[in-house]
Amino acid sequence: MVSMRQGPNRRTFLGAAAAGAAFGALPGLARRAAAANREFKIGLFIPLSGPASLFGPTDRACAELAAEEINKSGGILGRSIKLIPTDAGGPPAETAKSAVRLMLEENVDLFIGSHDSATREALVATVKGKIPYIYTPVYEGGECAFNVYCLGETPNQQAHPSIGWLAAERKAKTYYLIGDDYVWPRKTNAETKKYIAANGGKTIGEEYVPYGAPNKFEEVVTRIKSAKPDVVVSTLVGADNVNFNRTFAGFGLDKNIARLAFLLEENTLLGIGADNSRNLYSCMGYFANVPSPANTKFKAAYHAKLGPKAPQLSTIGVDCYAGVNCAHALVAKAGGTNGKKCMAASEGLTFKTAAGPATMRGRQVDKTMFLADCKGTQFEVIKTFANVPSGSACKT
Amino acid sequence: MDALIVTQAINVVYAVSTLAVLTLGLAVIFGLLGVLNIAHGEFVMIGAYCAYLTQSWNWPYLVALPLTLALCALLGAAVERIMIRPLYRRPFDTLVATWGLSLLLRKIAEAIFGPGFHSVTIPLPGTVQFLGIEYPIYRVVLIAVSFAVAAVLMIWYGRSRTGSRIRAMVSNPELAQAQGISVRRLAAATFIAGTCLAGLGGVMVAPLVPVQPFMGLDYVLRAFFVLVVGGLGSVPGLLSGAAAIGGVDSAISAASNATDGYFAVLVLAILFLWLKPRGLIARG
Amino acid sequence: MRAASLVVVIALALPLVLGQFWAYQLGLYALYASAAIGIGLCWGQSGFLPLGQALFFGLSAYLSGFAFIAFQQHSFIAVLTMPVIAFVSGLFAYGIGFVVLRRPGENTAYFSMITLALSLLAFQIATSWNSVTGGFDGLKGIPGLPGLSDLSDVYYVSAAVLLIVLGLASWLYHAPLGVLWRALAQNERRLALLGFDVRMLKAVAFAVSGFMAGVGGAVYAPQQGIVTPQLVGFGLSADLVIWAAIGGRASLIGPVIGTLLVGSLSAELRDSVPFWEVLMALFFIVIVLAFPQGIAGLIEPAWQRLEGRPRGPAPVLAPKGLTDRPAARLALSDVSVHLGEVTILDHLSLDFDRAGIFCVIGPNGAGKTSMFNVVSGELAASSGRVDLGGMEIGALAPHRISHLGLARKLQIPSVFPHLSIADNLAIALWSGRATKLQLLDPRLRRWTSPMLEELKSRYPFLASGGRKAAELSHGEQQILELAMALLTEPRVLLLDEPCAGLSPEETGAVVDIVRWAARRLRGSVIIVEHDMSLVKELAELVYVLHNGTLLARGSVAAVQASPAVRAVYVGGTK
Repeated sequence: MVSMRQGPNRRTFLGAAAAGAAFGALPGLARRAAAANREFKIGLFIPLSGPASLFGPTDRACAELAAEEINKSGGILGRSIKLIPTDAGGPPAETAKSAVRLMLEENVDLFIGSHDSATREALVATVKGKIPYIYTPVYEGGECAFNVYCLGETPNQQAHPSIGWLAAERKAKTYYLIGDDYVWPRKTNAETKKYIAANGGKTIGEEYVPYGAPNKFEEVVTRIKSAKPDVVVSTLVGADNVNFNRTFAGFGLDKNIARLAFLLEENTLLGIGADNSRNLYSCMGYFANVPSPANTKFKAAYHAKLGPKAPQLSTIGVDCYAGVNCAHALVAKAGGTNGKKCMAASEGLTFKTAAGPATMRGRQVDKTMFLADCKGTQFEVIKTFANVPSGSACKT
Repeated sequence: MDALIVTQAINVVYAVSTLAVLTLGLAVIFGLLGVLNIAHGEFVMIGAYCAYLTQSWNWPYLVALPLTLALCALLGAAVERIMIRPLYRRPFDTLVATWGLSLLLRKIAEAIFGPGFHSVTIPLPGTVQFLGIEYPIYRVVLIAVSFAVAAVLMIWYGRSRTGSRIRAMVSNPELAQAQGISVRRLAAATFIAGTCLAGLGGVMVAPLVPVQPFMGLDYVLRAFFVLVVGGLGSVPGLLSGAAAIGGVDSAISAASNATDGYFAVLVLAILFLWLKPRGLIARG
Repeated sequence: MRAASLVVVIALALPLVLGQFWAYQLGLYALYASAAIGIGLCWGQSGFLPLGQALFFGLSAYLSGFAFIAFQQHSFIAVLTMPVIAFVSGLFAYGIGFVVLRRPGENTAYFSMITLALSLLAFQIATSWNSVTGGFDGLKGIPGLPGLSDLSDVYYVSAAVLLIVLGLASWLYHAPLGVLWRALAQNERRLALLGFDVRMLKAVAFAVSGFMAGVGGAVYAPQQGIVTPQLVGFGLSADLVIWAAIGGRASLIGPVIGTLLVGSLSAELRDSVPFWEVLMALFFIVIVLAFPQGIAGLIEPAWQRLEGRPRGPAPVLAPKGLTDRPAARLALSDVSVHLGEVTILDHLSLDFDRAGIFCVIGPNGAGKTSMFNVVSGELAASSGRVDLGGMEIGALAPHRISHLGLARKLQIPSVFPHLSIADNLAIALWSGRATKLQLLDPRLRRWTSPMLEELKSRYPFLASGGRKAAELSHGEQQILELAMALLTEPRVLLLDEPCAGLSPEETGAVVDIVRWAARRLRGSVIIVEHDMSLVKELAELVYVLHNGTLLARGSVAAVQASPAVRAVYVGGTK
């Protein structure tokens, strides 16, 4: 986006001055005067429309819970947090446009985003590091733009522990990789293949289905059946992941072949259904059933706030809880939202997440990862891996 | 290796038969009334949600059928009366109006059931052995039911009194009216039959797919491509279209990968639209 | 002009009034609006609906993105490529239009679906072709337009682009080409019979719409810095159609209003109003059902008052025809037509070898109208040949045959109902006289010819130019159509039951005009007629057709005396 490439200059000033002259400088002055004790505004980009919108309610609820907790204990730098939830489920250009609106009209102090990477790229190009931008969900790693902080699971964090465990505990030798055809699955699979080889295993198949197309999986499953792998690694997302796993179990392959999915959280598992989740594993930074004291406390607070109709907790949602807490810690430590200061403050920054405290290194997060076995539509955490490094470090 | 080829061959049959049954509703409405019902997929979605509701109330799966038929008939009648009837001679307007309807139904489903996935348990779980391979029972049943539905429809359309009246209406509405056939009522009935067939397809596939508000989009385009390739107005045309689209997709997905299969479908549809817009088997 | 200057002033003042964000937002939607105008051009003017217009927007956005990345060091070169890219996009649309719109009439709905399928295909290619397009995450890091620094600058570029596209559309809508597009939507067959290549007209309309979308897309890439597959996909295509429909597809400004208003309102309200999309869907359905003219339809009267009526009455004399026309001699030799099992014409040979008035009679199903269809090029003969003035015309398209001096009046009056009488007549004058380039010149709408002046003095209603043809009575429409056929100054005029459904007075008027025409054109007038009293009054020679072949030929009296003819008529009609 052009306009944000260079800072404001004379012409911007002239334009603003003309606008001010035409429509009275008074509101502008009043706004500036009130700025001293105004709210700390956070633009929260979550999918409110489109297929990913099923995560929206949880994202919002978790972020609001964190904001409430922080506001009770004095807010950020004495300013209470105001969240402005904004749709990020449409095309990237729409979301970028909303970002411009939030910056120009709402004067937001910070962005938190839980959306796809295309939208992240568009936002990074729009925000240009002017204010901190915390990107929360699981992603392919490697985002190092100025004043951007990533909290989600990286391929290294998902593949390293889970492939190691499958090789050691299930004696898995052969692997078949299936994913949607875009950046995240391809990068994740590249990492996965590295660990498969490192553990003495063999990748005997790797295929992708068109992303965004109405896919069906009978043919893929039949091919997998004849390839007879020990493990199928799925980097399919959303409806494709549900569809694949239902077809897989429908063909009776769930009896003998283990499945490891890298974007399998509570909503997707509900779609897959209890009948189809035998021998299915997921490795994420959070499950609602994580048995840590921090999570128990978090869940109590969450359900107290939202009651029995609370939206389903899952890693993508609680990452927004972590996002708001991270914003709090980061801005408090840096003493403001200045990009350079925030970058410096981020190194070694510790902040609260639903599963327990997390630490930031190289603007990514060293995460505690959980490997879960699916029991019906519930995840049973069978192994915890503490402080798994993100595998990518950015300058601070 | 043999088992692989046989299974993939049955996958092709399965793809073709489910595609045919999911296209029937669109075919009836488009072929007989000339109305392209873009909301076709949303009626499939309604069928799927009915299946979900039936299960969540712990009723037998087949109860979903009357439930779906009732709901789709009611809705179909209302839609025909309000949106379709005033626009019979404005094909583009019906196209955009039903497009608005699809948006509306999707959003209503989202408001009622939420945007998340719902899972419908397969009523006939397990696999069956034949021809030296193992295949899911429910899919085998689905293949049989699909062919049965298509056959019944074909015989009914060819032999019954209503069928002949519909044929009269299609070939010459004024003449049919003059012969005492109420074209208006017949057209409404045809539209309702189309929405009911779509709902029926939804009940059939619900246990195999993620049930969610966006699911309808997947069906309407593929169904349209089937009509384009097969030609309008005959069951053999529909079956040959389903065989071409579903068969090519499934066969190429089996031989190569799903991306090639999807591209092949799109290219095939475009080629047919361009070179042979009346399809393989055109009426009259 | 007043309206145009008002639009320019508003466009200039908007960012000052609305502030930076709105400037930015409108800057984006102005680009979409350029594409929406193209939808209006195809759907509202020319009568066919493209459902995949994002294809052209996105294609140019990608191309422009590549150009700006490739010429990073020389951004002015990248700027120069932008019009080229828009042109390429238009050319691409032309190609698709020309290839797909081969057959007349029936396949326009298919055309919609082909464009939709192409847009889906493009989305999948853009998503899967990672190495070139950047895949689902998009083409990133596109440098901005040189020399622009803030949001208002970006807005002014977009606004300028939109104004240029609007200007282009306004010009085309006022030019003969625009009249022909509207005529195309109303009565494609009449337009072809009047000598216009309808396939070319549609392809050109689609090309212009592709160019308009291409202009928007070419600016989009450097403005946004990122191009993602959604830009070629179904979502944007559908949005463009909705915006054009709500704004008012038939008007010039409607699609722009729709895009700017609905697009930006959606962006504003989607996050805050619950069930915004449900409301939009309902609103959209209501517009399509009840207000096909959209928002523009509501404000149109005010707009027109603003625009004024600048066109002066000073008429211009139309030039003589472009092509030399052969003598008035029409001959069918041994022509057969079979449709499936049915034989419609059976080795029919007819010779109209001089100027004069001829009548073709015969019982229903004798093949009279089919004979006309063969002659005018609408029905292909299975065998035999048709000559017009010694030239074989059997394989020619209707518009080419028309250029050779054949005109035809259909049985049910076939005019352009929603065009003014003046435009109906002007279209007939352009046929065979205006070059392709001249069709861009709005002054052609003031053309007249000696024959037109004579017709106007005979039938004063033809001079009440502003009225729509649909407002005329049945008889007046018959005369209007006949006048249109005459204005092409044909050598051979085919009339299919010109007096059907007319009152005695109107019948008299038609008889007069036919006689006058035969004298005036010094050509042959061939009439299919059932009414024997009319045949007696007009015909110099009568041809009797039966079962697709010539039964008898001669004067009225001779034919009436023929036992074979009597046998056919007494035996009743088939």
